[in-house]
Amino acid sequence: MDNMLEVYLYETNTLLEQLDELLIEAEKNEDFTTNDVNEIFRIMHTIKGSSAMMEYSTLMEIAHHIEDLFFYIRENGLDSLSSDHKSDLFNLMFQSTDALRAEVEKLENNEPLSSNIDHIITDINTFLQKISNSDNPKEVQGAAESSAPSIQALNAEISNYPKTDAPFLIKLQYEQGCGMENLRAFMTVTALQDIDLAFEFYPSDVETNPETSESIVENGFFLAFSSQQDVDRAIHLLQEQPSIEAYEVIQNTPAKEEVDTPSQAPKGESEHKETSDTHPSAPAASSNKSSATHAKQSLISVNLSKLDSLMAIVGEIVITESMVTSSPEIQNLKLDSFLKSTRQLRKLTDDLQDIAMSLRMVPLSGTFQKMNRIVRDMKKKLGKDVRLTIEGENTEVDKTIVDSIADPIMHIVRNSMDHGIEPTSEERIAAGKDPQAEIILSAMHTGSEVIISVSDDGRGMDTEKILAKAEMNGILTKPASEYSKKEILSLLMVPGFSTNESVTEFSGRGVGMDVVKKNVESVGGIITITSELGQGSCTTLKIPLTMAIVDGMEISVGKSMFTIPIANIRQSFKASNSDVVLDANGNEIIKCMDEFYPIVRVHNLYNIDTDVTEIEDGILIWVEASDKSYCLFVDELLGEQQVVVKPLPSFLSYFNIKDSGISGCTILGDGNISIILDILNLYTASQNRY
Amino acid sequence: MSTNTNEITTEEMDAISDTPQANVATERFLTFNSDGLTIGISTNYVTEIITNHAITMLPLVPDYVKGIINLRGQIIPIIDIRLRMGKEAIEYSSHSCIIVLNIDSIHIGIIVDMVQQVVDIDQTMISSMPIEDRQELINGMITLDPQTVLLFLDCERLVHAY
Repeated sequence: MDNMLEVYLYETNTLLEQLDELLIEAEKNEDFTTNDVNEIFRIMHTIKGSSAMMEYSTLMEIAHHIEDLFFYIRENGLDSLSSDHKSDLFNLMFQSTDALRAEVEKLENNEPLSSNIDHIITDINTFLQKISNSDNPKEVQGAAESSAPSIQALNAEISNYPKTDAPFLIKLQYEQGCGMENLRAFMTVTALQDIDLAFEFYPSDVETNPETSESIVENGFFLAFSSQQDVDRAIHLLQEQPSIEAYEVIQNTPAKEEVDTPSQAPKGESEHKETSDTHPSAPAASSNKSSATHAKQSLISVNLSKLDSLMAIVGEIVITESMVTSSPEIQNLKLDSFLKSTRQLRKLTDDLQDIAMSLRMVPLSGTFQKMNRIVRDMKKKLGKDVRLTIEGENTEVDKTIVDSIADPIMHIVRNSMDHGIEPTSEERIAAGKDPQAEIILSAMHTGSEVIISVSDDGRGMDTEKILAKAEMNGILTKPASEYSKKEILSLLMVPGFSTNESVTEFSGRGVGMDVVKKNVESVGGIITITSELGQGSCTTLKIPLTMAIVDGMEISVGKSMFTIPIANIRQSFKASNSDVVLDANGNEIIKCMDEFYPIVRVHNLYNIDTDVTEIEDGILIWVEASDKSYCLFVDELLGEQQVVVKPLPSFLSYFNIKDSGISGCTILGDGNISIILDILNLYTASQNRY
Repeated sequence: MSTNTNEITTEEMDAISDTPQANVATERFLTFNSDGLTIGISTNYVTEIITNHAITMLPLVPDYVKGIINLRGQIIPIIDIRLRMGKEAIEYSSHSCIIVLNIDSIHIGIIVDMVQQVVDIDQTMISSMPIEDRQELINGMITLDPQTVLLFLDCERLVHAY
């Protein structure tokens, strides 16, 4: 069941995403193509079907009504919609996809589905009524009239079996109060068609006519077969179908004289189907299938935990390989063929590692596409004319990283829309800019990092205002006049800062850039803001490609070994005691490149016994992370190594191990454990200590 | 590996236990010695017993957290049960060993003075601790023979209560 739910969530989410993209694209062109309509119809049909199967009636109802709406549009052609209606339709569709998504989210969080969805259904129905009334009232009335009597006729007729030549009838009763009987009936029909059975069913318009559910409840749903064999196969399948309470096989004696009774007359089209025997159902089935295979891609979805364990095993193999090849027992032997084989092995394990890593990589396009939607919504609400340009959306990043930067990017885009872009296009024209503002969202690879930037051509940030605000909020740590521009902009990301005085719907809810910064740093990224007053501003995120493998520098302190990520190291150097000066608090600081940096002694901080306590005996490593830059004092450097990061056991999180500057650990080639230092938190830990 | 590892698996421990028949109400307990006390843990929690394993120390944690070990690629935290119960630390000897436990999928190793044996205990005979002598990690006791009292380690508390 869990598995089914997972598949259902995955499918539905994918479909909703497709739908969103399609809607955004269509809205840009301000029109639906026939293809779009068919696609939406198909998506809603699938969601309706799978939701009914999982018995999520809320989702099913919404999807069902949208499907009805698009069925109407499809039948009547797009030309019947005026442009007013189209823009209403877009809003309505965005609203209802949001509603669907909210429900799916509830499922994901194990919350009960909302039972009150009447407002959405009413919205959809009113819209359907509006377009049908305004455009071709005659036809709709006609349709309504024709459908009403046909139901009555059906009711009257079905009560004493439908008219058919088929010798065998199966009467199905659905569970009492299961709801949407017509859809359940239709699902049964589809299931039977899937095993290539030829049959007819009554009422025959269950798929499109919700009113038939009444007659199904009252009289049952009839399936007509031509041979006993088919009946047996059908019964076999029916036993596995959900929600079927009872079925009954009826031997049908041909009742031809009744065929001519007037009650048959309004059924028009459906009669054709009955008389032409199996043919109508066959093409229907095949067309269903073709639309279903349409969405299939050469992709499989794999549980992330399986990938994680694959990664773990590959990591082990890499470690074991270096254990074997650098084994002390063979160090002094001349083994030519062995060396050749180990080189081959190393190449293969390297390849294996690369492939395993690439499995976890997903393109950023999904995250970026969501921004389209946000820009669209805010554009409407704020009345700003903005276009979003997306560059490099196919850049691939580790899945966990994609998940954790989606929120920060969204927040930054919202900030740009809300505060960055000028409120009116007049203001932009006055400043000599294009009346339509632009937000550029771009991503690109640079070696082991991905750079994501969000830039706008709006007002830019006023450093003086920021400084004044920061001073007012009391978050300045030194006299205002000493702040450089870079420092002022980084004030934006200090907790307790928010430049907009009024809280709007989209941003400024008290959680500001400081949260964004925290999120980005939690995946080892760096965030910087640049801005020119009047020209616009740009927020740049530098994110490591993956967190699973790190290039590290092994260092030793006493008997302990630590790994410092190479990315954090700026320089390592020997210093003499006389280079070290003490600041006012008695802390050691040292000058590198004309700037003074504090020294953090690892052996002091971590209480490790070591003989190396003089600055001259050990080595200093100048490290930098985000906005912190300082020197670490360690015993010696052991060498550079690529290491596989292992998280620390969850038990240790009780001791706030992350706050003491440790991000994880790794197993070295000889089986020993080395602790990976988190340069940013290490500094905070050392500050809290003194 | 630089360490030599002597391992006794649970199966072997079962083999050496003296009463093999499985009664419905009985549960098997591994008993060990720590600071003169005999303490039992349900064998359902015990994964294995290892000795002489190199422990990597962790900085800035309480003293009873001795560090982490690499057990065939798995990182397992190690706590000293003596220190955890507020007793004096002693030098580790050839008798001291690490019992690796799996408690609700949390792997943890505990250092004990000496492992004793596996015994079958009738669970209905286990009495709760006297109110006035509550100890943090003990949730029951039983008198085995007139000389020895077996205490039961509260494993859930060991990994959850902080």
